Amino acid sequence: MKKLPKLLLVIVLVGAMVVLGLSSSTLAADPKVIKIGYTAPFTGAGAEYGTNGWRGIQLALEEVNKKGITIKGEPYKIEIIRYDSICTPTEAVANVRKLAMEDKVVAILGDHCSSCCMAIAPLCDEFKIPAVTIECAADSVTKPGHEFYFRMRPSMGLMAPLGIPRIVKIFNPKTAGFININDDYGHSFRDSFKAELAKHGVETVVEEDFERGTTDFTVYLTKIKRVKPDVAFYVGAISEGALIVKQAREIGVTDQTALFGAEEMAEMELLSLAGAEAIEGTYALALWGSVDPAFAKRVMDRFNAPMHYAIIFGYDALHVVAKAIESAQSLDPVKIKDALKKTDYQGLEGHVKFESFEGYKNQGRFVPSIVKWVSGQRTVVE
Amino acid sequence: MFVASRIAIAVSIIILIFIPQFASNYVIYVVILAMLFAILTASYDLLTGYTGPLSFCHAAFYGLGAYTSALLTLRTGMSFWQAFPITGIWVFLFAAAVGYPALKIRGHYFAVTTFFFGHFVYLFLLNSRKLTNGPLGLRGIRPPDSILGIDFSSITASYYLVLFFGVLIVGFLHLLVKSRIGRSLVSIRENEDLAESIGINTSFYKVLAFSISAGLAGLAGSLFAHFFRFLHPTDFAWMISEMIVIMALVGGLGTLFGPIIGAGVVKFFLELVRPAPELRFILLSIMLILVLLFEPKGLVGIIRRIRGEK
Amino acid sequence: MDTLLLQIGNGLIIGSIYALVALGINVIWSIADVPDFSQGAIFVVSAYISYFAVTLAKIPYVLALVLGMCVGSFMAFIFERFLYRRWRGAGRVQLLCAIALFFLWTNVVNALWTAKAKMFPAYLKGSMFGFSYMRIAVVVVAAILFVLVYLFIMKTKIGKAIRAASQESEAAQVLGININTVNSVVFMLGGALSGAAGVLVSPLYAIFPTMGDLPLLKALVVVILGGFGTVGGVLICGLGLGVLETLGAGYLSSAYQHGYAFVILIIVLTFLPKGLFGKV
Repeated sequence: MKKLPKLLLVIVLVGAMVVLGLSSSTLAADPKVIKIGYTAPFTGAGAEYGTNGWRGIQLALEEVNKKGITIKGEPYKIEIIRYDSICTPTEAVANVRKLAMEDKVVAILGDHCSSCCMAIAPLCDEFKIPAVTIECAADSVTKPGHEFYFRMRPSMGLMAPLGIPRIVKIFNPKTAGFININDDYGHSFRDSFKAELAKHGVETVVEEDFERGTTDFTVYLTKIKRVKPDVAFYVGAISEGALIVKQAREIGVTDQTALFGAEEMAEMELLSLAGAEAIEGTYALALWGSVDPAFAKRVMDRFNAPMHYAIIFGYDALHVVAKAIESAQSLDPVKIKDALKKTDYQGLEGHVKFESFEGYKNQGRFVPSIVKWVSGQRTVVE
Repeated sequence: MFVASRIAIAVSIIILIFIPQFASNYVIYVVILAMLFAILTASYDLLTGYTGPLSFCHAAFYGLGAYTSALLTLRTGMSFWQAFPITGIWVFLFAAAVGYPALKIRGHYFAVTTFFFGHFVYLFLLNSRKLTNGPLGLRGIRPPDSILGIDFSSITASYYLVLFFGVLIVGFLHLLVKSRIGRSLVSIRENEDLAESIGINTSFYKVLAFSISAGLAGLAGSLFAHFFRFLHPTDFAWMISEMIVIMALVGGLGTLFGPIIGAGVVKFFLELVRPAPELRFILLSIMLILVLLFEPKGLVGIIRRIRGEK
Repeated sequence: MDTLLLQIGNGLIIGSIYALVALGINVIWSIADVPDFSQGAIFVVSAYISYFAVTLAKIPYVLALVLGMCVGSFMAFIFERFLYRRWRGAGRVQLLCAIALFFLWTNVVNALWTAKAKMFPAYLKGSMFGFSYMRIAVVVVAAILFVLVYLFIMKTKIGKAIRAASQESEAAQVLGININTVNSVVFMLGGALSGAAGVLVSPLYAIFPTMGDLPLLKALVVVILGGFGTVGGVLICGLGLGVLETLGAGYLSSAYQHGYAFVILIIVLTFLPKGLFGKV
């Protein structure tokens, strides 16, 4: 009898492993399949990004496969192989090596974290496999850049000169403050925005770093309240942004300081997380202005999730790659890379074209919008 | 040691030597990481397995080593061959300075304190932006300069470099644990007060074990830095320390070769379940609990049981 | 001056959560000799379950709190009965099992409900002296729970058994105290407290798979600082850590907010190896 609990426990655990293992194994590949890899964080603190990107990719995948890709008269379907990077460079590199060497993919999507993008970009050159990143905001991902690595979204260094003049026009600030996440993304944002603000004579008076996973921002906000900058930029994931806005409202920061969020703070999810009251009157830089309502509805119906820019970029990225494969009429990664360079694609949000300029290579030109939250509505200011 | 184990070691080294000849670039990469982790778990075993104190900050020394070596070569123009030993000595001395007060803390207190030390080092790497370039990562690290006409920039060369130093380090550890020092360490693990009473300077030996294990982790970090050539603090976060503990435990603490097997098995297992992104760590934790249930002594315990020992 | 008081007040609110989780871990640690990392997982799972209970089943928030506590103590009971109990006396195996459980559940939550953050609907509106009622409620409920636990340990029969067992477990066994029962009770108590903490903070903050990491780590620091077996020590250290952290982040460097705990820990342990309130 004493052995019984142990036996049961073992059966439960082994059973769980078998079920989990089986449910994840991919089905035998069809011969007429084009394999594309996707590396993104699916676990850990950055899991939110991968989850959203994967949603967009799934939607695009359905469309592409319904139509099929015709190469030299033969129909092909796309299969996505996705691996978890946990936002850790060594894992992302393992993913890319496996995708390139074992899975023999023709193109790669991802990663989402700049640290991972920087680590995998040189590998794509080494293996001669083109990759399109879904996010990654740090300048150095495409500057000086790599022959086989493409980015659609603007880097922080590109966004600041596009955004700041408009921001200055709206607020006419003398002083600015930052609350930003302590990672590659947060620091890229702060560095480029601070430099650009200084050009317009705006002084940065307070800079606060917070670690990923922080939930109580009152410390930082109280400091902001004391210093009273005219505008405060808050940079982080949506959940962090929602908490910042809510807590800022609670302790009355918004009375003297206008809140301006990074890209994530223009997402619909901010509304559902923080509530219309808390975000009323705040601004944010947005990677999408007014997306087709039919697409937003599709996302909602399929995933029960609000629109997010990673969904849009994931969706566009797969379409861009599929188009490149079709126009290359080949499964040779180098030819796909050449076709990607000639990409001219009208995406959900903006026109996708990869160019080399100002030291950047294979970089999309994309103009961000500015969004204001007015009585529970996401309104595009410019 | 039994003849069988000697044969097993010889065979595995031969297999390791021939892997790059037929395996893909990806497999070589994974095996390099597995070997680096084997160095880490083996050195970890010296402290936790042989001497006793449970530590959760091994990745911190790994990271310190990696950054030290990278910065030495980047800032002073030193070659890898100079930076490598300096890194080892520096991390050894640093650990001695930290370990001397810290090892006075006993039991779980020590374990939890090391946990926080590890996190503190991570925060330091993240926030000292002038020094480490913080969250943007350190780039442009050179591969080891070529000696004897061997160019170390290719992955295969890195593989043999790591294998060479891995065998050296494990050999050193093996000699160390068999020596008088090793026996003193084990006596501290078995009963610290008794060891003290028979004239063993326990605090000296504990700090020694702590510093040696840290110094070797620093060497592993140096090897990593010049092989991977891109450093980011997340590669040395507390998750990695946990992973080292899990690997050592799955293999079997206090056996030196157990943790090495553990590093290989866990790494292999994680690669096996790579196609299941959301489930990898669930499966790993279930495996850990299963190992604990069956044989808290780990895989080595299972092997011994099969062979009818103990 | 005004902002200083605000900082201290917020530090106390954060500190009361640390203290709540720490109290459960402390009791478990002093009886079962295991730093129970799985309390971090219980914190998260309870928060999720009560979130679904409030948003889907529309039960009132107070009931959700009770539900969270029940879920927490049930999980802790199962962990103890089927896992920790096997390795009693082998503290290292228990510790590793605790870490494995923490790891397991954080990832299970991630796989089941995705990493997307969820937010509790506000159940109280308005504020007082710059603190919202919900924040004040956290402190009040935490205080009530502290008093209840204190009374439970000091006045009840099983509480006396727990105190006896924490002093000397073998002697307690001789005195006819069933160590299995004491263990079960202690783990259920700890689980209930962690569960309560999870449900209490989620309306202020957000619910996501890794939400338990930081409170768990801070609670462990509090337990070590406070020494074993003293309810008051845990309370003072929890609140103290909360305040020191906010002041450090507010007036020194915010980037190290979560590093101050370690610095305090090292300073205290160097001079007082048994913690601030530890008995010998």
